[in-house]
Amino acid sequence: MNGRDGTPAELVIRQAYVIDPTKGLDRIADVRIREGRVAEIGDGLRGTRELDADGLHLFPGFVDVHAHWRTPGREDEESVESGSASAAAGGFTGVVMMPNTDPVVDRPVVVSGLVRRVEKESRVRAYVSAALHAGLNGERLTEMRLLKEAGAFCVSDDGLGTASAGVLRNGMLYARSAGLPVILHCEDHTLATGVVHDGVHAALAGVPGSPASAEDAATATALVLAAETGAKVHITHVSTALSAALVGFFKGRADVSADTTPHHLTLTDGLVATLDGMYRVNPPLRPEKDRGGVIQALRDGILDFVATDHAPHASEEKELPFEEAAPGFLGHETAFAALYTELVLGGGLSLSRLVQAMSCSSGRWVGEGGRISAGEPADLALVDLSERWTVGRETLLSQSSNSPYLGRRLTSRVVGTIVGGHLVHDRTGAKLGVRA
Amino acid sequence: MLDLARAHARGETGSPLAGKTVCLAFFEASTRTAVSFELAARRCGADVISLSEKGSAMAKGESLIDTVVTLDRLGADAIVLRHPAVGAATFAARHTGAAVVNAGDGCGQHPTQALLDLYALSEASGGFDELTGRRVAIVGDVLHSRVARSVIPAFRATGMEVALVAPRTLLPQDSGAWRLPILSTVDEALLWGASVLYMLRLQNERMSGARIPSVAEYARFYGVSRWHLGDGVLVMHPGPVNRGVEISGEVVLDGSSLIPHQVAAGVHVRSAVLALATGAAHEVAA
Repeated sequence: MNGRDGTPAELVIRQAYVIDPTKGLDRIADVRIREGRVAEIGDGLRGTRELDADGLHLFPGFVDVHAHWRTPGREDEESVESGSASAAAGGFTGVVMMPNTDPVVDRPVVVSGLVRRVEKESRVRAYVSAALHAGLNGERLTEMRLLKEAGAFCVSDDGLGTASAGVLRNGMLYARSAGLPVILHCEDHTLATGVVHDGVHAALAGVPGSPASAEDAATATALVLAAETGAKVHITHVSTALSAALVGFFKGRADVSADTTPHHLTLTDGLVATLDGMYRVNPPLRPEKDRGGVIQALRDGILDFVATDHAPHASEEKELPFEEAAPGFLGHETAFAALYTELVLGGGLSLSRLVQAMSCSSGRWVGEGGRISAGEPADLALVDLSERWTVGRETLLSQSSNSPYLGRRLTSRVVGTIVGGHLVHDRTGAKLGVRA
Repeated sequence: MLDLARAHARGETGSPLAGKTVCLAFFEASTRTAVSFELAARRCGADVISLSEKGSAMAKGESLIDTVVTLDRLGADAIVLRHPAVGAATFAARHTGAAVVNAGDGCGQHPTQALLDLYALSEASGGFDELTGRRVAIVGDVLHSRVARSVIPAFRATGMEVALVAPRTLLPQDSGAWRLPILSTVDEALLWGASVLYMLRLQNERMSGARIPSVAEYARFYGVSRWHLGDGVLVMHPGPVNRGVEISGEVVLDGSSLIPHQVAAGVHVRSAVLALATGAAHEVAA
């Protein structure tokens, strides 16, 4: 981890409103950090170095199980350095990097190279997801045991999915033997022939649509195979009400978890009418009834957590007619603010459930972070819930600027992000000044 | 717009585009649309530049955005754009101050086609006001048709009743998007009371394979033949026609076919569109 120089061995964050749903912590308290870990939570704590956080909220650092840092291969769009800066700016202290890079993360040497770059460049904890099959071609399994030895945290078919159910089944069985969780992108390409959700807006605009069944059928297949193989399977970016319900059905029948994204929770396919390539994403934005179903499933815990699918793209890949634009949105820097603005203030999700879905549950999934507890690593997000800001290219630390929230006014903003006791994103000085 | 087109047809408008530059940027094959826009622009006195994908820097990989900005800087007053991607015209309009006229964008829209259809149909029906209450069946590949996306709202704007006639494989998944009746054969459309059959072209690449079982079956249920005609039923088609598929050869040149009138209307309507889009005509001729 690349912490800032001069980070103190001890820091007391005073008078923040601390929320950690796993501990039932929901009150104003002082938190002492010592040697990278939370040492003590209490009242009236004093220290050699204090940060007056009166008026701010302190959450366990957010953990994003789905991000594309475009490294190796497209460091012009995002690098480990810029991706981790972007994550830290969004309050994330842990991130899983997806393997659909160039080259694909399908060989041990690519994994170990990435691990070294993370050690040198990343401001946050970053975990390497290797590919489930070689070249993400859906044919030959990767050397999962060797990938794990090289430092891979999990395997995934993200970006494309796995066309053959037979290959997927063998992949799950082998991953189980190798002790690796599997993150699945569920999409049936014989159904997904379009670029937007096949609904009213696709019909009216004439933009080729992919039916919801492209996701639902693939999700059903993955869940059935997960139940049969006993693999630890995580279904990522669930975007339809039916897929969420299918996940619900398989909870308890398979070792399965699932996430959805901030954009599927806050935006709908009504944006297709703009014909603006910015709004192309995969899975596509869905109609209001799916958005509602996904929110409900997140509230009920059927969907375990939120992951951003942070997908930077160069402007020349986005400033194109809709069909030709590359799919994907930036996610890290707006995730919490968009969800707090739209779902907590807008009604539909409690703040504590949002914190659980961004920190605790995803932290538990990666096995690190997601808690504010004595002895645990000090991975924390300090947030001003009252700050109003407008998302602009100049506010983004990502190397790219393809945020669907550009120009939107959001409420709540991350003020500081702490990873292992290091202040890796720091707006506290501008905000209130650190008192030595 | 249609009144102005009639004034153009009567030759009463002079050269409203004299001194203006119209750029025809056709990045997809076109015969009648390209030719009628060119004729329209020339008859109105404009300087005309023609670009096609093959002859332009687009073939060298120049992006649409840079092509549009270049045309803008070269002083185009209007850019007539045909492009295979939906939204291309909308996209182009964001990057130029010139008037952008959509001459067809992927499966999106083909607005001047809809206008010339209204022109031809109202001429054949004794005036625009006579269209109210008439029933038009739009037959064929609605799913992939930019013409359908333009004529549906155009016909409805006149007060006509519209139904769609197509197999489900050639309709959008959410075919309720327009809230129109869906009928399953041309015969059914006539029973429904259609007095206009608007036939869409079955695109070559969709003539076989998974969406329809065979051309013969399609022609039998979704094609119009001589025996469908009578009782003043009119047949329209945006062209180019697949004879023997959507329309039997004898129907194309039958008295009930408006197809030649549609083509002829193209120049007048596109003249009016160019004049209005460039600000050369502000008001409709009396």
